[in-house]
Amino acid sequence: MMDIDKLFKQAKAKGIEDIQISLSNSTNLSITIYEGDVDKYEIADNSKLIVKGIFNKKMGVYSTEVMENDLIDEILDTIIESAKVIDSEDDAIIYEGDKEYTKVEGLFNEDLAKLDVSKKIDLLKTLDTKFHKYDERIKHVETSYTEITNSFILRNSKGLNLENKANSSYVVGEVIVSDGLDQRTGFDAKITNDFNDYNVDEFVKEISDDALNSLGADSVVSKNYEILFSSLSLATLFSAFQNVFSANAVQKGLSLLKDKLEQSVGSDLVNVIDDPFMKKSASSRSFDDEGVATKRKYLIEKGVLKTYLHNLVTAKKDGVNSTGNGFGGGISAVNLKVEAGETSFEDMVKSIKDGLYITNVQGAHAGANPVSGDFSLQAAGYHIVDGKIVSPVALITVAGNFLTMLKDVVMVGNKTKMTYFGITCPPVKINSMIVSGK
Amino acid sequence: MLLEKKLIEDLLDAGLSRGADFAEIFVEETDSTMLQSLSGRLEKANSSKIRGVGIRLAKKLQTVYGYTNSQNPEDLLKLAKDLSKSFETDTIIKRTPLMELEVGKRHKAKIKPKDVSLTEKVALMKKAYKAASEYDEAIKQVSVYLIDSTQTVLIANSEGRFVTETRYRERISISSVAAKEGVMQTGSVGPGSGKGYEYLFDEIDIEEYAREASKVAVTMLNADECPSGVMPVVIHNGFGGVIFHEACGHSLEATSVAKNASVFSGKMGQKIASDIVTAIDDGTLENRWGSANYDDEGYPQQRRVLIENGILKSYMIDKLNGRRMKTEATGSSRRQNYKFAPTSRMSNTFIDNGKSKFEEIIAATKFGLFAKKLGGGSVNPGNGDFNFSVMEGYMIRNGKIAEPVRGASLVGNGGKILTKIDMIADNLDSARGMCGSISGSIPADVGQPTIRVTEITVGGKGGN
Repeated sequence: MMDIDKLFKQAKAKGIEDIQISLSNSTNLSITIYEGDVDKYEIADNSKLIVKGIFNKKMGVYSTEVMENDLIDEILDTIIESAKVIDSEDDAIIYEGDKEYTKVEGLFNEDLAKLDVSKKIDLLKTLDTKFHKYDERIKHVETSYTEITNSFILRNSKGLNLENKANSSYVVGEVIVSDGLDQRTGFDAKITNDFNDYNVDEFVKEISDDALNSLGADSVVSKNYEILFSSLSLATLFSAFQNVFSANAVQKGLSLLKDKLEQSVGSDLVNVIDDPFMKKSASSRSFDDEGVATKRKYLIEKGVLKTYLHNLVTAKKDGVNSTGNGFGGGISAVNLKVEAGETSFEDMVKSIKDGLYITNVQGAHAGANPVSGDFSLQAAGYHIVDGKIVSPVALITVAGNFLTMLKDVVMVGNKTKMTYFGITCPPVKINSMIVSGK
Repeated sequence: MLLEKKLIEDLLDAGLSRGADFAEIFVEETDSTMLQSLSGRLEKANSSKIRGVGIRLAKKLQTVYGYTNSQNPEDLLKLAKDLSKSFETDTIIKRTPLMELEVGKRHKAKIKPKDVSLTEKVALMKKAYKAASEYDEAIKQVSVYLIDSTQTVLIANSEGRFVTETRYRERISISSVAAKEGVMQTGSVGPGSGKGYEYLFDEIDIEEYAREASKVAVTMLNADECPSGVMPVVIHNGFGGVIFHEACGHSLEATSVAKNASVFSGKMGQKIASDIVTAIDDGTLENRWGSANYDDEGYPQQRRVLIENGILKSYMIDKLNGRRMKTEATGSSRRQNYKFAPTSRMSNTFIDNGKSKFEEIIAATKFGLFAKKLGGGSVNPGNGDFNFSVMEGYMIRNGKIAEPVRGASLVGNGGKILTKIDMIADNLDSARGMCGSISGSIPADVGQPTIRVTEITVGGKGGN
């Protein structure tokens, strides 16, 4: 293990003005069951040291998995060489720390860590059996359990010394269904650090029903439809566009939210929040990677843009305080959440004359342009006619613009779901969107 | 050497001590650099070093994998023993002694990343920035990323394989943003190679690439919204090959084929594409982005003819999925790094040249979309449904390339699209991509000549 005091001392001797280290360790367990048997089993133990140093007001970064003391010189010399070539207009900052940090309870669940592996395998075997018994059209079942324990230490030459330890687990279920004519897939994942949260029957039912109901899915006639996005599909869209909230993107002219603070950017039904203290989220944190205390805040409140997400550098530029969103050298939300509204799912379906319930959108990493807000994404779901779900739909595209879509929100569902990529959303109804089919 | 031979042998023995029938050790050390500039100013310079060991054991169809970056022999032995406990003691399989260490001799670098100073790398980025930003006054932002990596691997297994090689990669990505009256459009290019910096410094004209990125952004800024509907689509050469990669390539990987989870499972020897389609995955191409001497199980990379004149000839198979399929592996096993167990993956994948001329294809198309540059895409290997975005598109009207269109996406089904390719040009070209799947993100080349697909659903917001 590297001697951090020695690293700090030598940094000073080489003329590095300030230095910060983050030391993370993670252990993983991952089990996959296929056809009733353990197919894959994985265990891992990994540590990483990230060293950031400021030289001539610029920051060099060196990340290493080799932590021997004889690497110290190479690390510091590379940091100095890096800092010398950086000619960004922004000066780098290493933070002295906040007075108070909100304590986040329950991030590390000892019971989960201690629970015997056999219980985790049993959970998957039960899932596997129940999937196979659920319907004979279920032809292929794969389930997996993953558990991650992370500990994180942040120290710097300004006296900051913070620690965080968290664990989380997730179960993934994947099925392929076939009726001889058509083949469809079902997939979902549930994340929690409380093993008691796994509801086997509900998990099997949701994944299986969605796959089975989509058998025989066909395209629809190209035109404008009323759109009901599921929690998952809305979360996928927010995931593709979340960078528009980053002050870095805004300051560099790469966000469609530039110059829109305190202005209406969506229907007054739209409330978007970043909640770093959310229960049972593996991402919840009391401080960000720069050591700034995290805060719960509205990004959009009743349709009005309230704040951008800041790290230390963007905050200094705008003359505000960091919002505690400096992660991984950039800016990101901790737990992005679209708040629930008042309408039940059933009432939303009933209100639609000729529309589509979109359960899945694909290709957001390529078909969505975070700079212009335009998107055109592969989608699947169901056709709704006169308030009733009538038939499965696939291989269509839904096209629109992120901001236009937020303005066209006419109903927000009263239940939210935390999706497997960490964004929480209710279903929402959009007045009208362009659908391309046949 | 990354790990003592004696320790490797001890690890293999420990792995086999409880009845596993296969043990493999993967040792890796990788140094990489990432430089990022925006508007010509260098914003980030990050260096990283990873070093670790992955141990894989198998017994029949069951596999266990573990990894650690501990350098301590005791920790490594403990990991091997912990993994071996997944199997019950019965017959202990005897290990084949390690052969003489084989060193990968191909895909060398003349100018290695460690011999190039940060100053020289930054100068290259500035040159790219200057050419891109000066292309047109509508260009408002240019971001440039430069990444390089030097990965040394050592792979040994209980069947006696014992190989090592060093792999070099570097790539520059240039992304231009054009803006006018509140509308922003982007264009990007990303040349790179599996050799040294001689590629970026001497073999390509970086300024020409940079201007190309800006040209796409400006063209799309002035484009109409793409009309939607089902229409013939001409997909241009080079990165257009991502269509085969996503729509068909993934479904030919043993990862999905072995478990009957692919639309192409059980189709060997059958016609799955139109007669004119021949498709190849070749990990042996000299110094290419997706090439290597050995796959990540330590076996030589190969040239695999996947489809020949429309007939399915080969899958891409790794050792353990080969057991499930009762067939030989094809040297197709890859992984991002030691933190991933390897599995069957593509290397450099392309549709081979056909007989048509590019001009003939356009002239033969009365109405349709010319997808000159594709963005990314994804596929559901379970049923072959895919999507792609079109970065640079034009309408084809009366056999001529007409007005530019933006915002188009293509959706379709991999199994069906292969049968709908009715023209293939003779202008095969390739481009670099990063491919993500269960064994991580790996460099993969995509390629094709210009092809015509008789009908694809095109999504867009415009009228006809």
